[in-house]
Amino acid sequence: MMKVLIIEDEGRIAKRLERMTRTFFEENLASLAICDSLQKGLAYIEEHQIDILLLDLNLNGENGFDVLESVVAGSFHTIIVSAYTDKAILAFSYGVLDFVPKPFDEQRLGMAFKRINAKVKNTENSMKFLAVKKAGHLHLIDIHDLLYIKGAGIYSELHLKSGRLELHDKSLEMLEQLLPQSFERIHKSYIIPLAQAEKIIVQPGSKYNLLLKNGELLPIGRLRYKNLKKRLL
Amino acid sequence: MQRLLTLLTIMLIFSSCNQGQHYQEHPPVYQTGDNQLWATKTFNDNNWKEERGNTGDSIFWVRSHISLNHLPDGPLGVNIHAFGSFNVYWDGILIGSNGRPAIPEIPGTESSIFSVPDSLSGTGEHLLALRSLQSYQQTTQRGVSIILDNYISLLRNPLIVMSIMNLMAGAFLIAAVYYFFLYANSKKKDYTILIFAIICLFFFSLLIVEYIKFYLKIPYTHFFIRMEIIGWLTFAIAILVPLYFSIQFNFKWKVPLLSLLFVTLLTVYSLNHNHYDWSAILYSLAMWVSAVVVVLNAIVQKEKGSLIILVGLILSAVVNYFLTYDFGLFISFTIIVLSMLYLHTIRVRVIEEEYQSSLLLSSRLKLELIKKNIQPHFLRNTLTSLIDWVEESPKKGVEFIQALAGEFDIMNEISDARLIPVYQEIALCKTHLSVMQFRKEMCYEWEEHGIDEAEYIPPAILHTLLENGITHSIPLDDGKIYFRLCFDSTDSYKQYIFETAAQNRPLGKDRKGGNGFQYIKARLTESYGDRWDFVSEAVPKGWQTTIKLYYK
Repeated sequence: MMKVLIIEDEGRIAKRLERMTRTFFEENLASLAICDSLQKGLAYIEEHQIDILLLDLNLNGENGFDVLESVVAGSFHTIIVSAYTDKAILAFSYGVLDFVPKPFDEQRLGMAFKRINAKVKNTENSMKFLAVKKAGHLHLIDIHDLLYIKGAGIYSELHLKSGRLELHDKSLEMLEQLLPQSFERIHKSYIIPLAQAEKIIVQPGSKYNLLLKNGELLPIGRLRYKNLKKRLL
Repeated sequence: MQRLLTLLTIMLIFSSCNQGQHYQEHPPVYQTGDNQLWATKTFNDNNWKEERGNTGDSIFWVRSHISLNHLPDGPLGVNIHAFGSFNVYWDGILIGSNGRPAIPEIPGTESSIFSVPDSLSGTGEHLLALRSLQSYQQTTQRGVSIILDNYISLLRNPLIVMSIMNLMAGAFLIAAVYYFFLYANSKKKDYTILIFAIICLFFFSLLIVEYIKFYLKIPYTHFFIRMEIIGWLTFAIAILVPLYFSIQFNFKWKVPLLSLLFVTLLTVYSLNHNHYDWSAILYSLAMWVSAVVVVLNAIVQKEKGSLIILVGLILSAVVNYFLTYDFGLFISFTIIVLSMLYLHTIRVRVIEEEYQSSLLLSSRLKLELIKKNIQPHFLRNTLTSLIDWVEESPKKGVEFIQALAGEFDIMNEISDARLIPVYQEIALCKTHLSVMQFRKEMCYEWEEHGIDEAEYIPPAILHTLLENGITHSIPLDDGKIYFRLCFDSTDSYKQYIFETAAQNRPLGKDRKGGNGFQYIKARLTESYGDRWDFVSEAVPKGWQTTIKLYYK
């Protein structure tokens, strides 16, 4: 069941988004809200659990990029719907699920929605940073600083090269959808940057482990072994 | 200044011989009466007076003893500076006349040159006697001075000096004419150009009047007219040069300084009347001091070109110090005027640059105006809404398209103009509102009061205010946003008040009006210079912007 929030100050466009969202999700839509300003939208997010945010980047003359960091740190996926098509690459680098340029039609918005459940990684993904909320503050982590990511229920643990551990509000599944091609899911609980993989160690009883460059051993999922081996070659 | 010729001639002619002393001249002696014997070399004039005294309408004689040590190369000549008319006797022999010493008198010139016969020009003692009459300007006591030299040099040297001075004068005449034309033909009446033209003209006149004596016969009766003219020209230049500098260098205490200068010059004039040389020196000194004060202040204010002018002024003082008297005065004046000319070219360049940047600003504003309707935020949001309207209700979609076409039409019409009729601006605002109504699905109300349709305003400034109002307002309880434009005028200004009656959205982090206000201010500057006021602020019922346009 999907909970959707639309932040859009153009009445007509907000209605269009609402109509198309309802059509797409049909009975799978648990809730849908529209806010016409960033302040209202952020307040809504504070109080309500959502799964998808449809965000316009220029609202009432305010730059939506200022809040992009904080929304991408959330537990939900963000889809940008904007007139500023030149900002798409920047938006992707922050880890948005999709960037729908205005004017859009039902099909284009539908494509964005389909990514939510897609298992296949998007080739467009060019995430560069992971925004993390820590003690009320936001900070950006360069994805090159990641050693591996471990799933922890609805959260993910970001293990950094520096030895630090950060928590991200998104699940491992959601992060997998956003991370670029250079990351690989090796286990139901682990994603690694391929650059950190040293070699695969096969242990008795067909147990596969991955040795990381820092010496740590991570388990490899039985079904993922073949794929990983191929990618490491 | 009356001694200028004398001094110049002395300087030039005797530049090498002065130290050597060709001759010794004894002070001339005077005797009223008439006796042909008084022309002779041997007559004893011991009891004659050293002053002319009151000779009235009577003939009087002047005798001057001369010891000639060396002969100049070539024929001997004598240059006499004296008032009146006279016959000239050299060792008792009549060698020429200046005017006619008889009643009625034909006045002679102040300076006259005579050739001395070869037979009488040996070394040794000689006597120069003048049979004179000074029936005009009887009270003017003016000495007799005698210069001996090569006759040809006496005639030629003034011509050499004059040719150089006329060359200089010609240059200033051309400068004067050029700057007069420049002033007359420029739209923006720049008074410094006019002042500079006048300075050049006066300086040209000064040079001409100064050296006119070499080729114009001026009877001694009119001698002082020329001196008066020279005096007043110097006076005027002494006022105008500091005035010019004080305008060019934005000198703050213009009036006090120039008043002080004027009073000083008048004092010099009244205290030194008839001392023409001395007056001129004091005039130029007062001018120099005032100019230095202005230029030093300019250096403190970091005005462009001020250092160059200071160098010019110091140079002129140095030249004036080393070249004695008027000769130096003219050279130093020339240096000052040349440095003014240089300063002027610097200013012209500044004006040129300002003009270029104003052109640049205009084209940038034009571009900004055109961009308003093609910038992605406007265009893509409009198109998105439009698609939605077309999909939902083609009929409404067509209305929307027509409103949009209307806005584009007006934008297209006004994009080249710096000022447009206010009714056109209002029409633009109204079409924009109808476009925005389709987009925002909100109700906007437009009201106007006291609009004078004959008024002009810069394009899209009300439109920009309207855009801001739409963007930053939340509708009132009745679901509407009200826009109200009022116009009124007083004797000193006219003003537009633009009100948005709505609830203001909370201010963002850095909302200072942003690009929109910059655009409005740049447009106001472009058309009204600094004669405008722009206030835009939150008021209890929404937002209010006041644009005041002053007449002066």
